[in-house]
Amino acid sequence: MSGKNRRTFVSVLVAAVSMLVFIYGCSAAKNYTSYIRPQFDIAGVKEIAVLPFENYTSGSYAAERVRRAVMIELMSKGIEVTEPGEITAVLRKQRIRSVRNITVENIRNIGEALGVDAVMKGSVGAFGISKGISVTYPDVSVNLTLIEPESGNIVWAASNTSGGPGFWTRHFGAEGPTLDEAAARVVREALDTLF
Amino acid sequence: MRLIKSLILIPAVIIMLLSVAGCHRNSVPVYYMREDVDFSFIKKVAVMPLQNLTDERYADEIVRQTVISELLASGLVDVTIPGEVTAALEKLNIKSDAALNPDQIKQIGEMLDVQALVLGSVQQYGEVKSGSVAAPEVTITLMMADVNTGTILWSVTETLGGSSFMSRHFGAKSKTMSETVLAVVRKALLTFTE
Repeated sequence: MSGKNRRTFVSVLVAAVSMLVFIYGCSAAKNYTSYIRPQFDIAGVKEIAVLPFENYTSGSYAAERVRRAVMIELMSKGIEVTEPGEITAVLRKQRIRSVRNITVENIRNIGEALGVDAVMKGSVGAFGISKGISVTYPDVSVNLTLIEPESGNIVWAASNTSGGPGFWTRHFGAEGPTLDEAAARVVREALDTLF
Repeated sequence: MRLIKSLILIPAVIIMLLSVAGCHRNSVPVYYMREDVDFSFIKKVAVMPLQNLTDERYADEIVRQTVISELLASGLVDVTIPGEVTAALEKLNIKSDAALNPDQIKQIGEMLDVQALVLGSVQQYGEVKSGSVAAPEVTITLMMADVNTGTILWSVTETLGGSSFMSRHFGAKSKTMSETVLAVVRKALLTFTE
């Protein structure tokens, strides 16, 4: 390669790398939001009842799949989780048909019946494979709320979304996460703001 | 001669790219805020069910959940759990919360022990096609009503969406629907929290 060609090659290479770095830098910022009630002692929460989640997606089992991911993540953090069958039994006993309309009184009763320190409510806004300009990617979006049964106060709330395909998937066809892996990551990031 | 050509061509290309990038629609929120009100009296709010003016079945609830999370995260106000709001509406026999009168606003406020109600609607929620590229677009309107007087203290309409210059031409990351919802709610609430 002559000196002139080498200079041209190096210039093109530098321009291409700069462009890629620039595009890589255009990635979205953090997608999660969280709130912890001031003065609330989170260390006192040893056992949580995770209520069935609200499903705002077209997937029939999206809410239950995310709920399971939340329960596993809580257990991995050393928090005790009430067995889902127990929760269903209490909801039936109290004639609560929809968790969407659950009141503070309902939560107080659930807390007493199950002997838990906190009750978790949640909703799933997106759970599926979405199509981008040239790639498909898992899209998961969750909202979680932790309520103290005694006061009925929201003591923690977080929302998180998986975002679009990563840089390597978009430009180089790298394998992205599966739907359940994306859900697990979204849940982990949200719960990391609590424990 | 070649140097002169390069000196003309390179700035021309840069100027063209900057012009095209600059043509990107940059929405400015349309908002109103009562100037004679000290908002520090608002300690707790209730976010009412939003009106869904879209064909997307759960657009209202998805946006409502995001509004609740973002209001809590702002640290400025506490928020009533949504089930309490539904119970209050049922108790007061309010079937449509689309047009509440000042008396109803006052009754709901007393029942929920809040200082203000957040009302609103979702006007647009979906993928909008622009040329060969489809991108999410979300438009919302939020209002805050004082429960004592029933007057509107703050109101905002915000829209976000479309694919950016960088994503259209260089494959940069574009926002998903969930990210667009989050961004539009954040932008709308910024007019209240800042």
